[in-house]
Amino acid sequence: MISIPDLRIILVDDNEIDLLLHEKLITLQQISRTVLSFSSANKALEFLSSNISLHRIPPTIILLDIQMPEMDGFEFLQAFDSYPSKIKSQCHIVMVSSSLDYGDINRTNANPLVVKLLKKPLLAKDLKETVGEIFKDF
Amino acid sequence: MKENRIRILYIDDEVHNLNAFRASFRRSYEIYTASSAQEGKLLLKSIDVHIIIADQKMPVSTGVDFFSEIKDQLPDPIRILLTGYTDVEDIIEAINKGHIFSYVKKPWDEYELHNTISNAFEMYQARKQLKEKITELEKINDELNRFIYSTSHDLRSPLMSVLGIINLARLDNSVKDPNGYVDMIESCILKLDGFIQKIIEYYRNSRLDVEYEKIDFDSLLQECIAAFKPQNTAIEFQLNIDQPVDFKGDTFRISVILNNLISNAVKYQKPDEANPKVNLTVKVEPHKATIWIEDNGIGILSEHLNNIFKMFFRSKNNNKPGSGIGLYIVKEALNKIGGTINVESKYGEGTQFEITIPNRNDFDS
Repeated sequence: MISIPDLRIILVDDNEIDLLLHEKLITLQQISRTVLSFSSANKALEFLSSNISLHRIPPTIILLDIQMPEMDGFEFLQAFDSYPSKIKSQCHIVMVSSSLDYGDINRTNANPLVVKLLKKPLLAKDLKETVGEIFKDF
Repeated sequence: MKENRIRILYIDDEVHNLNAFRASFRRSYEIYTASSAQEGKLLLKSIDVHIIIADQKMPVSTGVDFFSEIKDQLPDPIRILLTGYTDVEDIIEAINKGHIFSYVKKPWDEYELHNTISNAFEMYQARKQLKEKITELEKINDELNRFIYSTSHDLRSPLMSVLGIINLARLDNSVKDPNGYVDMIESCILKLDGFIQKIIEYYRNSRLDVEYEKIDFDSLLQECIAAFKPQNTAIEFQLNIDQPVDFKGDTFRISVILNNLISNAVKYQKPDEANPKVNLTVKVEPHKATIWIEDNGIGILSEHLNNIFKMFFRSKNNNKPGSGIGLYIVKEALNKIGGTINVESKYGEGTQFEITIPNRNDFDS
């Protein structure tokens, strides 16, 4: 159990089954009490921009898929980069993809906004470790 | 302008030559004339010609100068040079500077010039067809690569979802499965994924540029062994590395080659063998590396040895069919980096692969 009481995890994936899988995995493993699922990058960005009115942004992990129609993971990152630091500083982005493409992998690793790239299928162990690494100073 | 007629531009400063040319050839070809290189250039801006005939001796700009000037903008028309002098220097200059197809003496012989024009047009068409074929093939090749990429990608992502579901089912114990069906599903999915990964490997091998970097065979092979050891813990691996000099090569392709060959050595062991072995020997020399991968597995039937590197070939006499693509990828990857492969095998006794890979280190010194 990771003890960040107000931690929330935002899932961005066009694949409904993967959204469900990741949500269940997080709940079962008690990684976070709040899980918000978005089936498109646009919807997630809209939600994040509405957060600006919040008094305090809770610590957030975004699990972001790479291949999505309309706006893909990289385009999401590009748009998110221009968000106010009040939001950005609380959000930790983890890419999740089944991609074996070197171009995708290199682009992900090169992006300063991305903490890590996790492979699908997402394993409970990997996700816990990553969350632990992100909040090791808490 | 009729499409099927040969279009010719003839440039000569002597107007009566232009008229004579028109009179002799206008029935056979579509003829444009110009009395100077300047005028010729202007004409070429509006008309696509197949053949350009130019007189060598003209004031301001000679025929050769004209040809070499338009060479870059108009590479397609076939060029014929006309001159009253048989000056060897002129001929040499013409051929070297202006990409000239033929050289015709003045005054021209009508029959000879007809022949030259018809040959030139054949050349024009052959070049054009070749260009079209190249463009077409490049397009097909590109589409095929993209097809392979998106297929393997789109096939893989639902498979990963299935694996995710299996993992989740195990985690929350929600599926009662006394007969182990879920495990069977998982092993089938992994097999299919292995095949998809091979396709991606093939795709990357054919598309990625070759890149040379330093390779330490000891750590590379230790990694391979660590990856395959769990598949059959009974196998004794022997690693024998002689690397007195640095080796530079393409890491991606070399690991693809080694992974496929070691994977086979591990997979095709005899089920009843008491001491299954895989020996890996590397010898690095300044100009090449030689690697031997030797096993005491089931071996390959001698009549199959010639076919094992063919795409989708599978040896019949084994109960562990592979995808038939592994050794094909090995061969393709070796082709890309200039390596060679030899195989010796005795059915029932074992197989030895010998590969040589050029050492790209010598370019440094």
